Amino acid sequence: MSSPLCLRCLRRSLQPLDHHAASVQRAAFSTTPALGALPPKKKGAANTKPTMRGGSSLKLTKNTRVASGRPPAPGERKALRKRVVLSNTNAIEVRHLQDLTKDLCKDVSALTEAHGKVVGLENETVDAMRALEAFKATQGWNLFRRPAVLVRKETIEMAETLHDAQSKKKTVSKVLYGSRGSGKSVLQLQAMALAQQRGWIVLHFPEAKELTIGHAAYEPVITENGTEYIQPGYTAHLLGNFARANKAVLSKLHLSQQHKLPIPIQPDITLDRFIELGANDPEIAWPIWSAMMIELTAPSKSDKGLQRPPLFVGLDGLDHIMRDSAYLDMDAKPVHAHSLTLVRDFVGLLSGSTKLPNGGMVVAAVSESNRARAPTLDYCLETNSGESKPLWDPYMPQDDRVISAFKNVPVQLINGLSKDEARGIMEYYAQSGMLRSTVTDLLVSETWTLAGNGLIGEVERGSVRMRM
Amino acid sequence: MESTALRVGAVKRAVTCYHRPVVRQAGHFMQRRAFASSTTTEDSFDAAEPIHFSSDRNQFSKRSTSVEAPQHRGRIDLARLRVVPHSPSYFTSAPQYTDDLLHLSALLRRHHLLPVLPPGQAPRVAWKTIDQYKTETAEPVRVKEYSAILTLLKRLNYIHPSLLPAEVLETLQKYKRDVQPHLNQAKPILVDEYGCARAVGRRKSSNVRVTVVEGDGQCMINGRSLTNYFGRLHDRESALWALKSTERLDKYNVWAVASGGGTTGQAEAMTLGVAKALMAHEPALKPALRRAGCVARDPRRVERKKPGKLKARKMPAWVKR
Repeated sequence: MSSPLCLRCLRRSLQPLDHHAASVQRAAFSTTPALGALPPKKKGAANTKPTMRGGSSLKLTKNTRVASGRPPAPGERKALRKRVVLSNTNAIEVRHLQDLTKDLCKDVSALTEAHGKVVGLENETVDAMRALEAFKATQGWNLFRRPAVLVRKETIEMAETLHDAQSKKKTVSKVLYGSRGSGKSVLQLQAMALAQQRGWIVLHFPEAKELTIGHAAYEPVITENGTEYIQPGYTAHLLGNFARANKAVLSKLHLSQQHKLPIPIQPDITLDRFIELGANDPEIAWPIWSAMMIELTAPSKSDKGLQRPPLFVGLDGLDHIMRDSAYLDMDAKPVHAHSLTLVRDFVGLLSGSTKLPNGGMVVAAVSESNRARAPTLDYCLETNSGESKPLWDPYMPQDDRVISAFKNVPVQLINGLSKDEARGIMEYYAQSGMLRSTVTDLLVSETWTLAGNGLIGEVERGSVRMRM
Repeated sequence: MESTALRVGAVKRAVTCYHRPVVRQAGHFMQRRAFASSTTTEDSFDAAEPIHFSSDRNQFSKRSTSVEAPQHRGRIDLARLRVVPHSPSYFTSAPQYTDDLLHLSALLRRHHLLPVLPPGQAPRVAWKTIDQYKTETAEPVRVKEYSAILTLLKRLNYIHPSLLPAEVLETLQKYKRDVQPHLNQAKPILVDEYGCARAVGRRKSSNVRVTVVEGDGQCMINGRSLTNYFGRLHDRESALWALKSTERLDKYNVWAVASGGGTTGQAEAMTLGVAKALMAHEPALKPALRRAGCVARDPRRVERKKPGKLKARKMPAWVKR
């Protein structure tokens, strides 16, 4: 089944393992650790101070690196880079800031009234979104007192779609694409916040890149589709996020079916405890994940039997899973991303081949910063948008799995804000004390134009970040 | 006594030569002396004709274009034949230059009372460069000397065109360059029937063709959005600086086709193009745009590399032997 030796690590593992041996000379054939004294220091040049004109290379004082302080521990730099700060104590707290409450989320007409205004996220929403890693370090949350989002046209559409999906118990999938900084990921976050406030279960893949770049451990499994690959560690990580974010809902749900699991499970365990089992042990993470998907997609009974809330599934960075992954199979050929079981499950939901009988929504966002090259995805996006029928280069192989996954998936182009929406967000910047100038029509439309017709990320950059 | 007479004669001779060009074959003069030796010495030569000064004070500014027919009084006395230079400036280092200078100063002396144009309003003329003048005259003329001629020319050019004498016009024509760049009139940019004004902006090696139309502040470059095309906020601002500095950013839409050069060059070329097109819509904005630095074309280009240098000016590292 699983190979004991990772193929990627094969070359590395062939290196001699004892690096420390370099300091002490010993015979190559001997396995005995060297106990001899250290070799005597060489006399002469090594100890004497270098003369003024010695040496053949140019030595300048500025070339020498001065080590100051403690070097960063492994992972410290990355942690600093990925750190999400959601508050700025120097920013002014905006008074009369409306919150994205449960009532507001359920009432689409009330949300329509808030169009063009900024609404704050409630604490429990913030906790859930943080647990799902939906906030990103690049999104400028650290500029304001508390997380707040702009209600834009697309937000209201999203709320309507959620309402529709819940009331009619249908599955809606959607792919968001658009320019960099147009607010795709934040719109996805808004959708998740709306779903969470409506009592849905929210599952989110924060970075599809992490699934496919080959940094997570993987192992092959034989399924009915042939060889597929599970990622135990990353699955456990996702399960942990999922359990933390949806604790309130999952703690009221119980396991309803018998599953084939490697460990004995209490029959009516609550779902959050069940999922935590998988989160704590990567060895059983994948069976737990499979069982969890079966449980979540089990149809509710109309009477007092089994009740399951609708499910929201999100994924950011869709371009990374619509191509070959960086993993290699046994023949050292690249593994298609859809052969990874986590991706397979998501793509099944997105394409509609896996139904959500209790209603639900699947939202994937294409990432424009750090975009992976996925020509078939581009082709599908353009085709499904209905604006034009693109031509495919006949000399380039098409990715059939991506084409079939995109057969019936609606796509939505996210453009810039309207000027009214831009005015709303800029007034929020001014009220937060982050924008010093008076918000006039002229300033709004200048910022709007320079932000490429109101791309919200560029509006923020042009009015807050670059104007400090 | 003899020497004095000789001296007087010499002076007169010099002046005479100015009026009677080339060669005077025969004539009467008090002194019977040959200035140029002839190959045959059997006959004696007559001196040049006596000089008749007129009361005309500008007599020296007139140039005789044709050789006056010498009056033959009897037989040509080859012994008295003298070769006399055409111009008294013959004995200067640059005779043609001296002639020109004298002629121009005489012209000015004659016409300096004519009304002149107000300062700065003389027709713009590209005068011949000193190199062109030196090539034509084949004389070593210094910059300072030529600038004396230019000063005179410029003064003559200030004479009111309606009263400009024909001789001045003719003389000035001689000193003008064949191609007069100032006569090239820039084609005015007009707003067409669709409300579009088109202009081209250039900077470094970038060309940007810009179309400006009334609108609400949208911008598209090579079919891409402004943010997509210019990643830097600074470049975006400089591309639309003409509109931003005049507070017109929300009143016009801009389409641009950019080619050549780099990002910054294209952005700054677009500044110029947008400014020119904007001036077609609102000509009164020109002073404001000039103050914003959008009107003048920045002529700087990459300086060429020179032999013996690593770049345009960078010297190779100094190595001790």
